[in-house]
Amino acid sequence: MTDVRAPETDPFDPATEHQERPRPSPGGAFGLADWLKWAWRQLTSMRIALILLFLLALASVPGSMLPQQGSNPSGVLQYYASHPALAPWLSRFGLFNVFAAPWFAAIYLLLFASLVGCVVPRTFRLAGSARTLPPRAPRHLARLPRSAEYVTALPPRDAVEVAARVLAGRGFRLRRPDEAGQAEASQHWVSAEKGYLREAGNLLFHLALLGVLVSVALGGLFGYKADRLLVQGQSFADTVSALDEFHPGRFVTAASLGPFTITLNRFDARYITSGEQRGQPSAFDARVTYTERPGGPARTFDLDVNRPLPVDGAKVYLIGHGYAPVFTVTDARGQVVYNQATPFVAGTSGNFLSQGVVKVPDAQPEQLGFTGVFVPTAVNVGGTLESVFPAADNPVVSLIGYAGNLGMDSGAPQSVYQLDTSGMHRLTDSPQVLQPGQSLKLPGGQGTITFTGYVPWVSLAITHDPGQLPALICGIAALGGLLLSFMIRRRRVFVRARANPSAQGGSTVQVGGLARTDASGGFEAEFAALAAELRSAHGQAAAAPPVQQHAPDRHEGE
Amino acid sequence: MLRALSPRALSRRTVVLAAAVLAGVLLIVMLAGGWAGGGGSGVTTVDGNASAVVYPAGHRPLAPGFSGTTLTGSKLSFSDYRGQVVVLNFWGSWCVPCREEAPTLAAVASKYRPSGVSFLGVDVRDTTAGALAFARSFNVSYPSVSDPASAITLAFTAKVPIAGTPTTLVVDRTGHIAGAVFGTVTYPELTAILAKVTAKGG
Repeated sequence: MTDVRAPETDPFDPATEHQERPRPSPGGAFGLADWLKWAWRQLTSMRIALILLFLLALASVPGSMLPQQGSNPSGVLQYYASHPALAPWLSRFGLFNVFAAPWFAAIYLLLFASLVGCVVPRTFRLAGSARTLPPRAPRHLARLPRSAEYVTALPPRDAVEVAARVLAGRGFRLRRPDEAGQAEASQHWVSAEKGYLREAGNLLFHLALLGVLVSVALGGLFGYKADRLLVQGQSFADTVSALDEFHPGRFVTAASLGPFTITLNRFDARYITSGEQRGQPSAFDARVTYTERPGGPARTFDLDVNRPLPVDGAKVYLIGHGYAPVFTVTDARGQVVYNQATPFVAGTSGNFLSQGVVKVPDAQPEQLGFTGVFVPTAVNVGGTLESVFPAADNPVVSLIGYAGNLGMDSGAPQSVYQLDTSGMHRLTDSPQVLQPGQSLKLPGGQGTITFTGYVPWVSLAITHDPGQLPALICGIAALGGLLLSFMIRRRRVFVRARANPSAQGGSTVQVGGLARTDASGGFEAEFAALAAELRSAHGQAAAAPPVQQHAPDRHEGE
Repeated sequence: MLRALSPRALSRRTVVLAAAVLAGVLLIVMLAGGWAGGGGSGVTTVDGNASAVVYPAGHRPLAPGFSGTTLTGSKLSFSDYRGQVVVLNFWGSWCVPCREEAPTLAAVASKYRPSGVSFLGVDVRDTTAGALAFARSFNVSYPSVSDPASAITLAFTAKVPIAGTPTTLVVDRTGHIAGAVFGTVTYPELTAILAKVTAKGG
């Protein structure tokens, strides 16, 4: 029974969905072009897109499990030290720089191509389907999921006219028999369809999805990410040489950075002091002063973990903090050769037990180096120092001194958190513990190191992503479109009137309806109400016959 | 996600397909390829090294003015150097290539002192104690201005793309930036730039 199906090819008919199998070209042989077409169709299929999305998620896993070159170069060095056999192999597969690895880029680009290749043609088809007219009315309306039948005194032509007016008044798009059609001229029917907003929503969703892709690309090309560790009391300007890490987009140059300057006036971290949550942070507050551009007015801002500073199109996030013990080193000649707060980085042992390195390249006669541990609240547990609380309630440092060649006078740049002791000899056998104000006299008259105190530091992430706002807008639009396409049903109603042979002049009216996607139900009630309205309209029109003179045809073929 | 179109729409599908392929290829090129930054207008490189450049007369950016405190605590203004050729070296005692190039700078400074070339250091992200110790170690004879917050660096970055420490700029007698070495300077590079800038009309 093909009556129910629309005579035209319906873009939303499930029957046309699964034509993904390659069709041989007219010649019969399955040539290269067919294979390419087939490959493209496969790439842009939902299945492959989902597989790629899954692969992308899977590929990001090592990025969070292993230390990454970009975000944690010292962690990579540590990994090399602890896994000397495995690390080179991991590096060969790009696992220390996952997001820049060729295989990661391959997945990302394939997913990108898949999405674009899927969304673009679909957009065109949706735009087309939002303009189509409803199909012709089927012959047997009683076979539709919903139908009603009644008799009216109106002749078939007038009955259909009245029905068309009612349906148009309800916002349906109408289709009438073509006047030119030979067989159709004797038929009286009207097709009506509603819910085209579903297609509009679908279209909006797809266009917005494309917008999201473009926004992401925009951010990748014109945005940048940077990190900077800032010790309390210090300032930095947003210029490449003042940043610790700088990851520019493809089209970002040194001159495209916003010329702002940030000073860390004060950093406070408060911790829960009792109960099960003891030692968990309760509040952070980084008070900064910033100027948007050189010579501009200085403003203050309280940075918090979820409260970034918006400045000059960029956002500055507080992403970490720690302690920087202050050391003063005097060399063998009595010159002060080092006097600065040295950022130490908290390890995994908790409570901000932090490690760091002091390098004194200009100590005479030999260069000096120290590896140290900063313990904010120190407790001696069986001869080893442990930190029992993250706040600096009983701060001590433990130092091991070295003298010799730091390897800083030539060669590759060094990490400030690593001490290359290969050219050095150890000055002290055991780690020396110092409290604030205490000094350690180095053996052999090599000098003195004094632990004068400590200051906090914060780690700032600066991101500039011009695609962020467009991506947000497109995301919201996509969601709106999706909701629209879910909530609105596309439904069709047909009315047919046949001259009633038994009665005098009247006609039998058949009303049929179907919802294209009636997942949520509700069409039954709508159809019943509509059928009742049609019936009463017919009844009223039959009671007051001369109506059709005013019946305008303006809705026809809208 | 993709649903094949009906055979009737084959020609339009081909068009759409071609457009999509084109868009995809374009995106791939944009993301993966990247355009190498072409050389600027008439900038010549020194010794074939792209990190050492000479800006031709007429294309030299004007050096910004600045003033600051030297490592020894006295005030210094860049405008005091007006009319001289100045070699500005951005450095830090913590920076390995700066330590590497320090003897070269000392040698070039003493060679060009008779020609009226002044050297001036800009000490970036450093402490006075560390910087003074560096100056003692390498017998640095010229002054340096402290730039702990990179303010001077920022002012110069607006004119030349300073992307790290060390960077060495050569400012001509009219106060324009005539040449630059991005990274460790070598003796031949720096002397080649200075030879051009100190030459008559340079």
